[in-house]
This record gives sequence, structure tokens and C-alpha cells, in this order.
Amino acid sequence: MKRTIAAAAALTATLIVTAACGSKSENTPTTSASGPVDGKGKTVKVWLMVDAQTAWKGVVDDASKRFTAATGAQVNVEYQQWANHLTKLDATLAGSDVPDVVELGNTEFPKYVFSGAFGAINPADYENSGTWLQGLKGACDFEGKTYCVPYYAGARVLIYRTDLFKKAGISAPPKTYDEFLADADKLQAAQKNAKFGAVYMPGQYWYAAMSWVKSTGGDIAKQEGEKWVGQLSQPASVQGLQRWVDMVKKYSHADVTKNENEQAGIFAQGQAGMFYGNGWEQGSAEQIRKDPNDPNSPLVDTKVKGKLAAAPMPEVPSFLGGSNLGVTEKSANKQLAAQWIKYFTDSTAMAGLIKASALPNSTALLDKAATENPAIAPAALAAKSSWFTPNAEKWADVEKGNVLQTMLTDVLTGKKSVADGAKWADEQLNTTLNES
Amino acid sequence: MSVVDTPTRPPRGSAPHRPEHAARPRRRRDRTPWLLAAPTLLLLAALLGYPMVKMVELSFQNMRLRELISGRAPAWVGLDNYTRVLSDSVFWSVVLRTVAFTAVSVIVSVLFGLGIALLMRRVARGVRLLMMVAMMFVWALPQLVAAQIFRWITDSDFGVINYLIDKLPGVDYQNHSWFVSPAQGWLVITTLVVWAGIPFLAITLNAGLTQVPKELIEAATVDGASAWQVLRSITLPMLKPLIVIVTTLSVIWNFGLFVQNWVLRDSHPEPAFQTLATYSYTQAFGQSRYSLGAAISVITVLLMLGVMAFYIRQMFKIGEVD
Amino acid sequence: MARSRVDDGVLTVGRSRVGTAFANTGGVLFSIVMLFPVYWILNTAFKPANEVLALTPTFLPKDPTFANFTSAFKAPLFLADMVNGLIVTLLAVAGSLVVGFLAALAIARFRFYGRKAIILVVLAVQLVPFVSLLIPLFLMLQSVSLTNSLVGVSITYLVLILPYTVWTLRGFISAIPRELDEAALIDGCSRPQVFWRIILPLTGPGLVATSVYGFIQAWNEFIIINTLNSPDKQNLMAWLLQNQTTRGTAWGPLMAGAIITSIPVVIFFLIIQRNIATGLTAGAVKG
Repeated sequence: MKRTIAAAAALTATLIVTAACGSKSENTPTTSASGPVDGKGKTVKVWLMVDAQTAWKGVVDDASKRFTAATGAQVNVEYQQWANHLTKLDATLAGSDVPDVVELGNTEFPKYVFSGAFGAINPADYENSGTWLQGLKGACDFEGKTYCVPYYAGARVLIYRTDLFKKAGISAPPKTYDEFLADADKLQAAQKNAKFGAVYMPGQYWYAAMSWVKSTGGDIAKQEGEKWVGQLSQPASVQGLQRWVDMVKKYSHADVTKNENEQAGIFAQGQAGMFYGNGWEQGSAEQIRKDPNDPNSPLVDTKVKGKLAAAPMPEVPSFLGGSNLGVTEKSANKQLAAQWIKYFTDSTAMAGLIKASALPNSTALLDKAATENPAIAPAALAAKSSWFTPNAEKWADVEKGNVLQTMLTDVLTGKKSVADGAKWADEQLNTTLNES
Repeated sequence: MSVVDTPTRPPRGSAPHRPEHAARPRRRRDRTPWLLAAPTLLLLAALLGYPMVKMVELSFQNMRLRELISGRAPAWVGLDNYTRVLSDSVFWSVVLRTVAFTAVSVIVSVLFGLGIALLMRRVARGVRLLMMVAMMFVWALPQLVAAQIFRWITDSDFGVINYLIDKLPGVDYQNHSWFVSPAQGWLVITTLVVWAGIPFLAITLNAGLTQVPKELIEAATVDGASAWQVLRSITLPMLKPLIVIVTTLSVIWNFGLFVQNWVLRDSHPEPAFQTLATYSYTQAFGQSRYSLGAAISVITVLLMLGVMAFYIRQMFKIGEVD
Repeated sequence: MARSRVDDGVLTVGRSRVGTAFANTGGVLFSIVMLFPVYWILNTAFKPANEVLALTPTFLPKDPTFANFTSAFKAPLFLADMVNGLIVTLLAVAGSLVVGFLAALAIARFRFYGRKAIILVVLAVQLVPFVSLLIPLFLMLQSVSLTNSLVGVSITYLVLILPYTVWTLRGFISAIPRELDEAALIDGCSRPQVFWRIILPLTGPGLVATSVYGFIQAWNEFIIINTLNSPDKQNLMAWLLQNQTTRGTAWGPLMAGAIITSIPVVIFFLIIQRNIATGLTAGAVKG
């Protein structure tokens, strides 16, 4: 009963407060992050993902320093691994000693927001909240309140080999999808090596595949009434999926069971002409640290150093990846937590993130990002017209259940046809998204 | 004749050797074993018993993330979870796969282990030492590490195995992906498990072989028995109890396969690579279906009870327990 | 305790020289194949990342570096993780030996009502997949404030290895002839003295053998400690896993870390290797 009402309220997305017993919005006050807070003797426990530690620890430290100066409270940051952070979170949230601030991927938030893990915050307290990227903010909305703060985003672009383009007689990156295919053909024709692939596209890269689905007007799932209905077997989605499969089969020699985590390092070996990745992956492909764990370790050039450029992928909208920050409902220091998030997402922090090649959390800052860090200009452009996964409570379960990855591998290995694979995926989506 | 290590026990019913003072404080002595066993029992009850009871209780409820966080009591759903699990064809395919893997990997492991143990009895002292050292290093590797190194050497882009096989004339193994086909993927997983399991098996069986009286074998050989006949009629029968023990242990360990397929598939095993342990884990933690995961665990234990019954019977038969 | 004339020598009666030569070759080949992955770990650990991620693997590092190892030591929580791991492992092993020895004594030396039940429990409990008990265990430990503590994890590990310890020690104690007990009792020893002075020393090899198993289990465990404790109270396995991120896996440091985490176990092994084999088979072979 409670959940049906919750889902309906989320659907209407208005400020109607439901009168259902135990409805969340009635009981949860909004945590304010404005006004002086005395944090002397208190410590705010923050869970950030390991990316912050490797790529922009300076931003974290700086924000914490400013926070401590303003409130007197100490900050204890713990960096979590992507592989098991949700399991840890589940176990921790069940108990009483919870972290105050938690970072989660934007696709992971709805599940926890719907389950009451996070407390409501007041967007007006945070800089640029009026222009927060919808792909990040959408995950925070529930029954008219906001339960997390957008942190950073990533958008995907086409990264290509300028030298190979020149060799194949291509003067500029493709502006239409047909041009993209034509360029791929030219690249393959110009290379005698049979191992060469015009595109590096690993088989379980579902963000890419779903972007292709979106490019033909398709969708993953839609909410009809109170139910979520999988849309992958709709003709528009199947068309997009088929496009992607055809492209992979013709131009990619990538492992169909791998995902995109290692693609920069593999592309750097020089056996492909283009790949589809986040803006910062261009840098990762061109240079590699001798010791990946040491941010001060010397950088070594790879085979493709100086030979890469990025451009928006024509006609294919990018998935807006990224993370948000939430104040846990059980936190004993909610106001302090909200304040820390304020310092970590203000313009100073955003400037630091931009320098580290991450995209800021607001559309207003995207142009600034493009000018300050030209390397991420294509990504900033791509972020403006990006898409996001269904805002369903159980979406995180779909990701954890590897539904899309399994479908893609099955289709690419010929185990299922595109239509059958899409049908199977829809069945899984319908079961998982609608489970109570 | 050599004296072999056996648990010597006073023959039952032979009265005279029993010291007399044992008869009287019988009632007082009855409490001592309980006192001695108490710490163990308390610890097991607290840290295993209680969670197990909770787990069974959980399997009859419907616990999802919301209940976990809020601490609200989850609803009772009776046997719903069990019906759901037992009528799910995916579950049965996982069971089948786990059983098949266990059977194959245990048979291969034990045969290899036995073979290596016999080999160790045959080689020169120096070579035997080399083999022991090699196995020692492999045995010392944590499971996680062993799985990671196998993941690395079978990597489709940078793995050395592909590189070496590619060197064979007429074979194109560059970028070969080992986990596209379930058969090949399980070949890798089974090789890892067998490789990691040989040290325990070989060293244990080797020690058992050293306890087979040399004189028996020498006498038989002098009488004209071939090596194979010696093996079949003398060595193996004497080794049988030990073989049963290590086989049963291997079955128990391999049935609960988790780390290897988990790591080799980078923490998200495809359906074809799920075993009961990973399936339960992904249901419970991946999908936050804690109750369903609990039901799967209970069913796994019940499935194992059959093996356990066999193990205990063997223990009784060997005379270790009476 | 009577020992067989365990001969380390090879049976030479009826064995041909050629056969031995074949066997020796086989043994060497076996060792090479077994050690290949270990060699590859070492090989990768000394390579910088740009050499690790190369399409043509090198069999000896072209540009050998200690960087992967030093970065391990420089990693923020490495030393803490190592110390934590050692503490937790030693506590668990020591604890399980003490508690397990007492229980094994009870089962092996006494006949009492409920003995078979205890044996059944000890055996059955080894079948339960520990991972499935994670959440109830976590909640229970949290209610007594034992989460996020090394003590809590030590106790959990202790219980994890306890059944095996009890069972194995039971086997050892059974192998000690009761005549020794009785002789000592007649000589005036009290029961506790018999346990302490006679049985305990003779169970030495058994204690050693079980401690190996316990050490390996506790040292290599990562799921439980990962769930129960925060990052600053992890062991080395958790530290190892940090090398895997969504930006790819840092193979060099991972392999270096693998070596570092394996060293204590290897050392432990080398110290007690003589006793392993005896420990594992005492009484198992019928003579």
C-alpha cells in the first residue's frame, strides 16, 4: 500500500503531500545547509568513491579545510570501491553508526532515496541549484522533495586517432552518423592489419549501446500508470540496438565480454581508430603513470600520445554519468553534513573538478568548463543533450543484475537475435522494476 | 614389521586395565567434558547459531532494503520465497551447474593429486623437494590472488596465455576471449581450482603413501607383482580412508565455489558462470532480496546435508569416531 | 607417540632407471607448470604500468622497477592493514587453538551424553556458507558494539576456523594412547595435569597443522572484514582490492601487493612444513 502511493506521488512529481500512513514526506524535515552551525568537537564522516582519491583529492582536502574553518567540525573521508560499496552501505545503513555524507552513482540513488536512506535537503542552499543537470538531479527527486545534491558528471564523446584519419584521407571528425560509418570504412581500408578495428567497442558497454537506442528514438523503460514497462522490444529501440550491433560486428575487434573500464589502456595499444569514452579517457589513453596508484608518479607516453582528439558523437546522445551526494537519514550531524556538501559543490570546488577533467554539476558551468579545460569541451557539449536511465526505484537492481550486459553479449555472440535479446531484456526489466 | 601410526584404543569390554578410581566419581566427571566444550559451544551458538536461526527466519519473510534500513519488521510470507526459488528455472540451472562443476573438478583434482603423490614417491629426493617447494608456494597464495593472476594471464588483450597459444603455427589466438563460451570459461575456472587444490591433495596423499609399509610393497614386488597390481591391491586400499576424507572435503569446498568465478568475471558473473554461492550473494546483496538469498542459502545447506551424511558415515566407519 | 619408520627414501626394488628418469622429468615439468603463475606474478610486479599494458608480454621486465612495491608501502593504509591483518589472524588462530583444544579433549577423551550431538554440530556447521550469514551477523555484532573493531572480526574468524580445529585436534588426541593417561593418573597426576603435561605436548604437531589452516583462512578472508569494518580497519586483502577501479585495474601494484600478502603465509609454511604432512594424516592410514 505504502509503496504504491509512493510510486504514484513520484509520478505526479508535485508538492501534494500524501496522507498515507508512514509516508516519508510527512515525517522528514528538510535539512538546512545555511546559517551558522557550531561543529566544535564533532566529526563529519564522509563516504566518497575512489575516483575522488585518485583524480581530485586536492579538491576534497580544500573543501574540507574551508568547511572546518567555517564550522569547527572535523572531517573524516573514507574512500570506497565501486565493486562493493553498495553491499557495505546496506550493512552500514542497517545499523546505527552511519556515515553522514555518502556519494553514490546517479543511477544508484533512486533505490536508496525511495527506501528512505537519505534525508531531504533544500536545493536553495546550494550554488547553481537552479541549473543543476537534470540527469543528476532527477535521481534525487522523490515526492516533491530533493534527497541528494549533484556532484559531478561525465559525458561520452568520440575519441579518434588524428594520424590515422589523415592517413585515410579524412579531414574532419564526422558530423553525421552516416559520415561516421563512412569514416570507419575508410579507416579499415587504409589499414592492412587484420587485427585493426575502426572502432573499439567492448560488448558489455551498455551505456554506449543504450545511447544508440536513444539515437533512433528508442527507450529502455517507461512508466505507465504505476508499472514500469520495458521498451527495448519497441521497433524504435530495436532499430537502435541493431545499428549498434551492426557497427560492433563490422568494425570492432574488442572482447564482447568486457566492459568499458579498461578501454583507454587497450586503445592506447594502437589497434583501433576510434573509441567512445568520457572526456578524461583521452588523457588516460595518451599517458599512463608508471605507478597507477601514485599521483606523483612520472607519466609515460603511450603509442598514441599526441595523436588523439575528441569530438561529439554525431546523432548519438550521451549518457549522463556522474555522482551525487546525500545526507543519510540516520545521520546525527545532518546540518553539518549538508554544510560540508555545500562547500564541496560550490564554484570553487567545481573549478577544481573542471581542472581534473570532470564535468560540473550545472548547465550554467558547462560553457565555463569548455573554455577553462579545452580537453573536455566536447564532453561539455555532449552533456547538454544527454539522457539518463529510468528513474525507477529498482533501477539499481537492473544494473546489479547485469540484464543489459547479458543481453548485449548474447546478441553479439549470436546466441540470440536482436529481437529475441530485446524481448528477453524487457521481461527481466518488467520483473525487476516492478517487484515489491 | 614397522609399526604404523594408528589410533590405538583399548579393546572394548576388557575390564582389568581400567583404573578403579574411575568408577566412583562418574557423576562428577560428567560435567568436565561439558565445561571443556562450553566455550566452543557458546561461541558457535552466538556467532553461527544465532545468525543461522535469523537466516532461516529471514527466508520466511520478505526483507528488502527498506526494512533493512528502517529496522521495521519485514512481512511474513511463509513458503513464498521457497516456492519462488524452487520454481525458478534459473535456480535449477545454477544448481545443475554447481553440481556438474563440483563433480568434474573434484574427480580431476583427486586423480591429479593422487598421481602427483605417487610421482613424488618415485622421483629422486631433489626433485621431490622441488615439487614440494613449488606446491608450497602455490598453496600459500591467497585465493583472491590466485584468481587475480588467472584473470590476468587469460586476459583477452594482454594475457600471456593468448600470446603463447598464438605462437603455435596456424592458431590465431590474439584477443581470444576465454569467457564468451561457457565451456571455455569453465575450463579456465576449473583449471584454477584444480591448480590451487593440488598442493593440499598431493601433499596429504603423499604423506599417506609414506605410511604404507615399504616392506609390504617390496615383498609383493619381489613376488612378481607389477607396479599397477601393487597400486591396486596394496596401496589404494590402504589409502582409501584418506582418499575418502580429502574427496569429501574437496566436494564441500568446491560446492561452495565463490571467489574464483566472482573474480574471474570481475565481480559480475554472467548467468552461465553463476554458482549457488554467487547466486545467493547476488540475490541478497545485488538485488537486495535478502530473504530470497537466505532461502537459497538454506536450500544449499540442505543439498549439502546429503554429502555431509556420507562424510560422517565414513568418519564413523574409519573408526575415528565411535 | 609411536611413529612409523617413515622413510623418505624411494622404493628401489623393482624400479627401473629409465622409469626413474621419466619420473624425474615429469616431476620437474610439473613444478614448472605449477610455478608458472607464481613466476608471472613476480614478473608483472616488477614492471611499470606502461610495460604491463603491452600487447606483447615480456618474460623478463625490460624496465624493472621497485615502484610497485614502494608504492605499496607508501599507500595510505598499507601498514595499518598489514598490522590489522596480523592482529586479527593471530588472535583468531590462538583463540581457536585454545578453545578448540579444550573441546577436542572433551570429545576425544570422554564419553558422555550429548557427545555425538556435539560432533554432529561441529561437522554440520562447516557446511554453512558464511557469506549468507553476513547481515544477521553484522546486526548482531553491532548490537554489542563489536562492529568496526578488530576484536569483532577476530572473534568472527575464530568461529570460522573453530569447527575444523576441533575436528582435527580431536583426531590427534584420539591417536594418543589412553595408557599414557592412565599411567600418569596412577603416578599421581590429576586430570588437568594429564591434559597439560601429557596430552598437550603430544598434540604439538596437530596444533601446528591446524594453525596453518587457521592462519590461511583468517589472513586471506576479505568479504567479512570488508562488510564489518571501515576502510581504516581492513586487512591486506581489502588493500589489494583497491587496485581495481572503474578506470581499469592496476596490475603491477596488484601483483606486487599479492606477493607482499603471500609472504607471511610462505614464511609460516616454511617454518612448519615438516609437520604439515604428519599433521594431516595422523591415523588416517590403516596399518
